[in-house]
Amino acid sequence: MSATEASANPQATAGGIGIANLPNQLHKIVTKKGTNFSLMVVGESGTGKTTFINTLLTTELIEPLDDATRRKKQLDKTVDINIHKAELEEKMFSVKLNVVDTPGFGDYVDNNDCWLPVVDFIENQYEQYLRQEQQPVRKGIVDMRVHACLYFIRPNGHTLKPLDVRAMKAIGARVNLIPVIAKADTLSPTALRQFKKRVMDVIDAQSIRIYQPPVESDDGNSEERNREIISAVPFAIIGSTLEVKTEDGRRVKGRQYPWGVAEVENDQHCDFRKLRSLLIRTHMLDLISTTEESHYDKYRTTQMKTRKFGEPKPKKSENKKFREEEEALRKRFTEKVKLEENRFRQWEQKLIAERDRLNKDLEQEHNLVKQLESEIEAISNAGSPNNKFFRK
Amino acid sequence: MKEGSGEEQNVAPSVYSHVSRPGSHRYKSAKKGLPFNVMLVGESGLGRTTFLNTLCERVVIPPREAGNCEQAHIAEPMQFKHYTVDMEEDGMKIVLNIIDTPGFGDGIDNENCFTRIQEYIEMQYDNVLAEENRIKRNTKFTDTRIHALLYFITPTGHSLREIDVELMRRLGSRINIIPVIGRSDSLTPRELVLFKQRVMNDISANGIPIFNFPNSDDDEDEESVEENAELRAMLPFAVVGCEEVINEEGRPVRVRKYPWGVVQVDNDEHSDFDRLRYVLLNSHIADLRDRTQNGLYELYRTEKLSGTNIIAGTAAATNPAAVAPTAAATGSPVVQPPMVPQSHPVAA
Repeated sequence: MSATEASANPQATAGGIGIANLPNQLHKIVTKKGTNFSLMVVGESGTGKTTFINTLLTTELIEPLDDATRRKKQLDKTVDINIHKAELEEKMFSVKLNVVDTPGFGDYVDNNDCWLPVVDFIENQYEQYLRQEQQPVRKGIVDMRVHACLYFIRPNGHTLKPLDVRAMKAIGARVNLIPVIAKADTLSPTALRQFKKRVMDVIDAQSIRIYQPPVESDDGNSEERNREIISAVPFAIIGSTLEVKTEDGRRVKGRQYPWGVAEVENDQHCDFRKLRSLLIRTHMLDLISTTEESHYDKYRTTQMKTRKFGEPKPKKSENKKFREEEEALRKRFTEKVKLEENRFRQWEQKLIAERDRLNKDLEQEHNLVKQLESEIEAISNAGSPNNKFFRK
Repeated sequence: MKEGSGEEQNVAPSVYSHVSRPGSHRYKSAKKGLPFNVMLVGESGLGRTTFLNTLCERVVIPPREAGNCEQAHIAEPMQFKHYTVDMEEDGMKIVLNIIDTPGFGDGIDNENCFTRIQEYIEMQYDNVLAEENRIKRNTKFTDTRIHALLYFITPTGHSLREIDVELMRRLGSRINIIPVIGRSDSLTPRELVLFKQRVMNDISANGIPIFNFPNSDDDEDEESVEENAELRAMLPFAVVGCEEVINEEGRPVRVRKYPWGVVQVDNDEHSDFDRLRYVLLNSHIADLRDRTQNGLYELYRTEKLSGTNIIAGTAAATNPAAVAPTAAATGSPVVQPPMVPQSHPVAA
């Protein structure tokens, strides 16, 4: 039982009316209800998002794409939103987990606005929840609001790319953003330290809002641990679902190189355990509550200020790319129509010319026939007057 | 520096010579140094700078200064930076000219990077073309044609990204492209093998022309044919850059230190760096120069002077001042009047 505040009346602690038992009741309720947690992963392909999720959940929730699918994805140049659902259970406590993946983000030559589908998805979940809340019957609300978004930064060792800055700014304003350094086993410890510092400097200078876990806690150990976790941001992670043997014979989850084994659960090698702790063990409920109380509330307030009750959300202007494509298609269409019209006009003229020519021919023939007829008549008139067949 | 290659093949002496001399695959410009121009292209953070410093065994490109944090949301445009290093390899003097391209692929929209590089490459060809056509030529003319382009691929572990395919596709017919995997120490040996396979599949599936160690026509030497096949199988080269030199058993070793182990840069089991170095500065330097000067340049020259685009798919800018008038290269649709049907109903 967590330490409750000492009541003003020292006598109350002795017997008490039982308020101190509330946390236990809450515990029972929460245990029975379970909870719902949505996690989003954003980053260029090849940064280890799928592997990380599968490592975190110790199960292959997301299947890695095969080559053919990947090549096809390269061609369609869009950012998709894929949702993977799982139900985890540990010691009688169940969590309905939703993992939202964003393949295609940052993968193309032109990545303008590639964060828009991500931002739209986040806001749409708020919108859905808002709408459901406003219904007369509120039972069975489906809550897909994103509680945490992991942004995978490529370990280039220098600085954040402009794409990262723009995307993180847009995302961090709407959801709990946790920056993560992907594939950290390619940076030496010194380089990693410098890179982390540089990333945090840019985040501060650009006013990018990231998730700040609370430090204070009821017991001193947690505080120490919390401080450690906070100081490790952005988290350098290595992901692996394979078990390998280290030089000293231990079997660990890690990546085996000719020069050694990079271990996933070793704090000297990467920050995986700290991140897992943040996401699940220590701060999951905080992530959920900050989403509901802070981010969702902000959205709700702005929407309610500008919209009347029950009115649908105004649709944002369409994606620029779609507009461009639409324009191009329209132009092609009108050009094609013009071409066909031209073709038909020419054909028509040709037909008319042909008809005139034939008419002329016909007239000529007609004239010829007339001429011959008149000749015949002339001959017949000039011919024998005794001919019974011809009249005068 | 690699120890003596020990592959000096002595040429069969002519009937009159008394002594057999080493094969002359080396150029004779021992005094001046053979000019070798290489361009490095790749997104930032893939180890271009480190690679060059490791190749030249000294700091040629100083570590990049961290830019202003407040400007981090603005992409810096791609630049062309030149460095010249005098090298000596196996007794042969080389003047290594490097053109680095910091800023490639770092923006949000990188469409114009390709055109700019292509223009740069073609400008060097144009310079030579102009020089050839001079009445009085400059004997001290420096040939700036680029002999090789090292393209650094991100080690995603999956396959080529759009920007990789686009760059190699557009430039492969103008310059010798050697694909290289940067930061290859982020892939385990198995992942590396699979990645290399996938990359080469992508390259052949897209019909991308790269320098794949072709056997020259007059090259019947079995050893070279074998060597080329071996190198072809190693493509793309997995490269790791050196951070420091440590002393191991009295020998200096270039390494990258991690908490879980130490990568040896020159160890063939850890990276293909040493092999690539040998290819660039020794075994294939002549091939690369030759193919540039006698193959790619000639192709460009023919195209430019005849004003036609021989290679489908490249956006070669035809010079408006070209001699021959261009046939309508753009496919403007010509309207074909339809065939008038034979049996015509005549309208009376």
